[in-house]
Amino acid sequence: MLKDPTAPHHPQARGGPLQRGHAHTVLGPVPADSLGVVAVHEALLSVVPGAEHGYDISMDRADIFEVLAAKLRAFKAAGGGTVVDSTGMFHGRDVPLLENLSRATGVHVVASTGMGPEENLGGYFLTPQTNPPTPWPAEKFADLFGREVTEGMVVPRVERRGAAGLVATTGTRGGLTPTDESLFRGAARAAVATGVPVSIRYGADAVAELELVLAEGLPADRVVVGDLDRAGAVAAGWPAAVAERGAYVAIDHVGRNDDDAFVRDADRAALVAELVAAGHAHRVLLSGNAVGVAKGHAPYELPYAHALTAFAPLLAARGVGDADIQQILVANPRDLLAVR
Amino acid sequence: MSRVHTVLGPIAAEELGLVAVHEHIGYGMPGSELDTQWWKTPEQRYGETVPKLRQFAEYSRGYGGATFVDATGICNGRDVDYYQSLSAKTGVHIVAATGFVGGDTALRFFAEASVDYLMRQFVHEITVGIGNTGGKAGIIKVGVSRGFRMKELDLRIYRAAARAALLTGVPIFTHLAVDVEPALAVFAEEGLPLDRVLFGHADDGVSQGKVNEEAILGGGGRIGFDTFGYDLELPDPPFWGRHRRERLEHFLRLIGEGHLDQVLASADANCSPLGWPGVEGHTVNYIYEQLIPDLRQEGIDEATIHRVFVTNPAEFLTLTTN
Ligand SMILES: [Zn+2]
Repeated sequence: MLKDPTAPHHPQARGGPLQRGHAHTVLGPVPADSLGVVAVHEALLSVVPGAEHGYDISMDRADIFEVLAAKLRAFKAAGGGTVVDSTGMFHGRDVPLLENLSRATGVHVVASTGMGPEENLGGYFLTPQTNPPTPWPAEKFADLFGREVTEGMVVPRVERRGAAGLVATTGTRGGLTPTDESLFRGAARAAVATGVPVSIRYGADAVAELELVLAEGLPADRVVVGDLDRAGAVAAGWPAAVAERGAYVAIDHVGRNDDDAFVRDADRAALVAELVAAGHAHRVLLSGNAVGVAKGHAPYELPYAHALTAFAPLLAARGVGDADIQQILVANPRDLLAVR
Repeated sequence: MSRVHTVLGPIAAEELGLVAVHEHIGYGMPGSELDTQWWKTPEQRYGETVPKLRQFAEYSRGYGGATFVDATGICNGRDVDYYQSLSAKTGVHIVAATGFVGGDTALRFFAEASVDYLMRQFVHEITVGIGNTGGKAGIIKVGVSRGFRMKELDLRIYRAAARAALLTGVPIFTHLAVDVEPALAVFAEEGLPLDRVLFGHADDGVSQGKVNEEAILGGGGRIGFDTFGYDLELPDPPFWGRHRRERLEHFLRLIGEGHLDQVLASADANCSPLGWPGVEGHTVNYIYEQLIPDLRQEGIDEATIHRVFVTNPAEFLTLTTN
């Protein structure tokens, strides 16, 4: 009889001893130099918390699988190697689904732990059954996220599976709430303890929020700051500031050209060319924030390979050399995702 | 025709028997499913739950049936196909709820939804079914978020619930009866008679002095003594606990003042809690093992007990459209 609900059903696929130089994929550790071209900030199945209960939301698993598998195959056919699902642990992540997609398509899938911003959290973390209902502190988030690396990612109330390869969190656009701050600090502590990297999609101030996670003792090159192609970030000069601080700069909405909150691809290409010229080629990451299947929010149909097939040529046209482009698409995510 | 929705289909109100009107098979705050400290195997969940329900059925034989109204809302671990199997195997009628325990248990998708969407969600779960289970909700849960102040989202849920109740005929029960004036205003604006609403947890320790009983009772509302058993005499009582004697006297006072038709009682126990430790030893069977004996001891006759646990809940749960 199974006494421990977290007992392994598939020992080879669970979190376990860390293998340095390897990335945690949903099918187990993989040498980081075999990841190939990596799309580092993407979503596979993306579900707004609670949407799975919506009366008009279909959660047809076969349908979801088919759509995601087709998109992953297209990515592979275009030369892609690895997709990082950076949605965290509470936005539709379904670890067995991701495993089987990886098996079926041959694309490496790295899944993430973490949560945020505050509005995406459940009441368990915000108004717990204690008096007073004090929201969770950083310490408890660090433990929750860290265990998703050392013991494996949860299938809620069923079992743990493989190790998370990234801790991903996001700040509230208007500025970090106290709980966002706990999430950021907790994510950083989990990364320090486990050796996986952290992704922060900044809320209101990319540099100050980066400093917040660095203050937890996390080396800068274990952090990727996302959303740096938001118009405000570019205007403020944050991409260069983040690179100078030693963290990874994610220009992660390539292909998004109809949203005034973001700069356009031409500006993105100019920005990346500037960063490369300033000696920051080893700190730039590209991604599309594509959504494979969206539930409870608007779909965002962008091929996972967009950075590789449509955006890289724009960089070449700006004079960014092939070695730098390879650095950005392959070597940087390799270095980021390799567990230390 | 008198009908009540149970998870296994509609039954006549005359078949409900003794009704525990506010209980939980298992409750957990949204997100608690991510924290392995609370996980239980299916063996353990059934093992903790089935004996309690079988005992409840056994105690209820003389009443012609046993009915367990589950007050667990959407996102709180409500698990209807599990309830269906429990009901089929134990013979206890289980009524499932649509709605939310409070705005702070509605996840983002619902927290951002309009009154109209929330109403359609509730109506769908009452008339079509919950998820793919085919089981239809028989009641709507609404409530006040932590902090004892009605919030905008709480009230949006109250308004959607009022509209869904008018359309479908199911009743509403509330988590907490504090800060009730805004709720009464919403029900008045929507035209819902207050006898379709059970204002719950009016008896808990932390609500005392904060419940406008006069307004609830004067308007024809029903009042819930539905945390019986969360006694401060327990070795490790929860923060909402109350002295047993004090709660009982409060209940007897309302009956003595002529409000027998408006009171309902239950234990709000978890058969197998999902995201909190629960209260050791507290079960739905408190009704039989402590409460009914206490009432008899106080000289309450069987007709009155029948009124509280059989007739009142049957009237309340019967689908009622005007
Ligand atoms: Zn309850």
